Amino acid sequence: MKTIRTRIAVAAVAIGMTAGFAGAAYADDAPGVTKDSIKIGLFAPISGPNKAYGFDPLNAAKMWYDKINAEGGVNGRKIDYVVEDTRCNANDLVAAVKKLVEQDHVFILNGGSCSSATVAAKDYVVRNNIPMVMLNASGDGALYPPVKQIYGAFSISQHAVGGSVVEFSVQHFKARKIGYINHDDAYGSWNIEAAKYMAKKDGATLDVQSVSPTISDVTAPMLKIKAANPDVLVLTTYARPAALIVKKAHELGFNKPIILAVTGTANLGQMAENVGGKAALQNFYTQEVLAGAPGSEKLQWVYDMYKKAYPKLAAQPDYPQPYMPYGLPPAMAVVRALKEAGQNPTRDKFLDALSHMKFDSKVMAGPIEFSPQDHAAQESTIYLKFDGKTSTLIPGVYTNAWHYGDK
Amino acid sequence: MSLDVVILFLEQGIVSGLVIGSIYALLALALVIIFKTSEVPNFAQGEFYMAGAYVALFLVVFENIPTVLALPVTLVVCFLGAALFQKFVLTRVWKAKGSPINLVIATLGLSYLLKGLVRNTGFGDSPRTFPSLVSTDSITIGQASLTYLDATIFCTAVAVMIALFLLFNFTQLGRALRALGMNPKAAQLVGINLSRMNMVVWGLSGAISAAAAILVAPKLLVSADMGHVVIMAFAAAIVGGFASLPGAVVGGFVIGIAENLVGLFVSSQAIAVAPFLAILIVLLIRPQGLLGGRVALKKV
Repeated sequence: MKTIRTRIAVAAVAIGMTAGFAGAAYADDAPGVTKDSIKIGLFAPISGPNKAYGFDPLNAAKMWYDKINAEGGVNGRKIDYVVEDTRCNANDLVAAVKKLVEQDHVFILNGGSCSSATVAAKDYVVRNNIPMVMLNASGDGALYPPVKQIYGAFSISQHAVGGSVVEFSVQHFKARKIGYINHDDAYGSWNIEAAKYMAKKDGATLDVQSVSPTISDVTAPMLKIKAANPDVLVLTTYARPAALIVKKAHELGFNKPIILAVTGTANLGQMAENVGGKAALQNFYTQEVLAGAPGSEKLQWVYDMYKKAYPKLAAQPDYPQPYMPYGLPPAMAVVRALKEAGQNPTRDKFLDALSHMKFDSKVMAGPIEFSPQDHAAQESTIYLKFDGKTSTLIPGVYTNAWHYGDK
Repeated sequence: MSLDVVILFLEQGIVSGLVIGSIYALLALALVIIFKTSEVPNFAQGEFYMAGAYVALFLVVFENIPTVLALPVTLVVCFLGAALFQKFVLTRVWKAKGSPINLVIATLGLSYLLKGLVRNTGFGDSPRTFPSLVSTDSITIGQASLTYLDATIFCTAVAVMIALFLLFNFTQLGRALRALGMNPKAAQLVGINLSRMNMVVWGLSGAISAAAAILVAPKLLVSADMGHVVIMAFAAAIVGGFASLPGAVVGGFVIGIAENLVGLFVSSQAIAVAPFLAILIVLLIRPQGLLGGRVALKKV
């Protein structure tokens, strides 16, 4: 009898201690926050074939946090970041997120450069109520419908890619009939949803051809577009299919304006070579999500800051990489939300601060703006005429007006 | 859709289908000659093709070696690469376990290895091109438009197919290779060196893939993922009859034309399913493939 009593007592103490520890861990909604520092989990693809998507955006975010630390930190606390590599792979990303949350005990997450991999973390961060501010992923799958914990699309969402390029086609070219080639994947279905909404709103029609990202022969979609005789052709494909389509359009004598969305503009110099030179680019426009043309005076401060932060890297050819500036606005948003969360920050206070944030990053084409119903940061684009060598800015900023729930 | 448009779509679909189909046919030939001799579906065929394109790109664009020299060097490199893979990897894998499935896994391993190597060079990040040997100006046949490059791709691919036909039918080497495919033991008994012939088959397959890559790279671009086109070659080989060389050629053209006509008359989204639909129809109507001969029972 005594033995049983002893066992019950030991079990009760054990249960009590477990509950006590759990209580200590979760009573304060601020893991990773100490008197002098706030720990942030940064993650991006920094190795592997998709390194270009995240390596330099992550560097940009780090240089912003370093700048804030050099200026005294946030509310007297230094930002202490832990970096994990995701290699653009969903499994690696979820493992990195779990490690940052469960082992490093970070306060919030700031990362994700590839949409499909980033979206894979949604269930985990929602279930555990971890704030996640994406890096440069568009991440529409995690933003629509909005969930309390996730904010993103600092470069642009795919919905805004489609919506804003239709707005540009209608406003700039007075297009009434728009040829539209997208992919038959998640990206394509996201951008066409907003494109259709904007076309309807602006009184235009879309002639859509959806192609596989691995398509080899683009004769059929391009010939159908030519036969439909649209006023402009919009391409929201990746770089390789885009180059094949532009080349085929030239071969078939299609001479209407072609607008290439930001999904395919990573290396325009290479694109010019791939389409066979200037002749195919006589009436060619590119979408850009930055505040000015890359390398323009408007963005010089970003490149100067990078050069100062990473002198050795900046001296290497091809650095900074094209997506580098995209890493700044998410870091700015994190810092602003931390400031607003005050001296005793909690995850909920941080999320409240994000839910009504609006500021001009001086990096992107439009403001960074959130509401409780819209967690996609950036909806605006500018356009450049590209002749194979130089890009000329078209005046004006063109903004997507589609919002979640709009049909 | 007006009659004019229907005729335009038909003409363009057939002309473009013949051009892209000639590449599928070459790759299908490369698959079939290996399958006929070793009964291994080579899952690294697409990466042989990709590696051929990158070798040519490296020599022509980065090393500025004259094209007339670079292209034969590419063919030789790919011939040797594939032959040595057979000699030093497949032979050992076969000896170690003796199961064909292990050979298939070895080809899968090679495909990942080649892709990884290209990505690690840094040249695999962006799709690239190298200069076309002929003009890319357009000509018209009826209402259909094609470039001189397209015409060159088609003619050269057909020339390679004819050369292979002559090799297999009118040379001693070709007869030895056919004997190897028909009955390896009997071939060995009459003095054919099986080990050498297997290397030649794999080397030939590598060189044919490289030829296809060199032809089409200025048109379709060079990228680390370009090997996915091998799915079309598998489809072509199945449609033609997996053990038939003429079947592979016919299958290539059927798949090329089918994907264009489906894209034009049905939907662009259906292009990706067209080859599989063709496989399904052929398997239902003629399971041995279009030129696969009679279905034979094998004694076990």
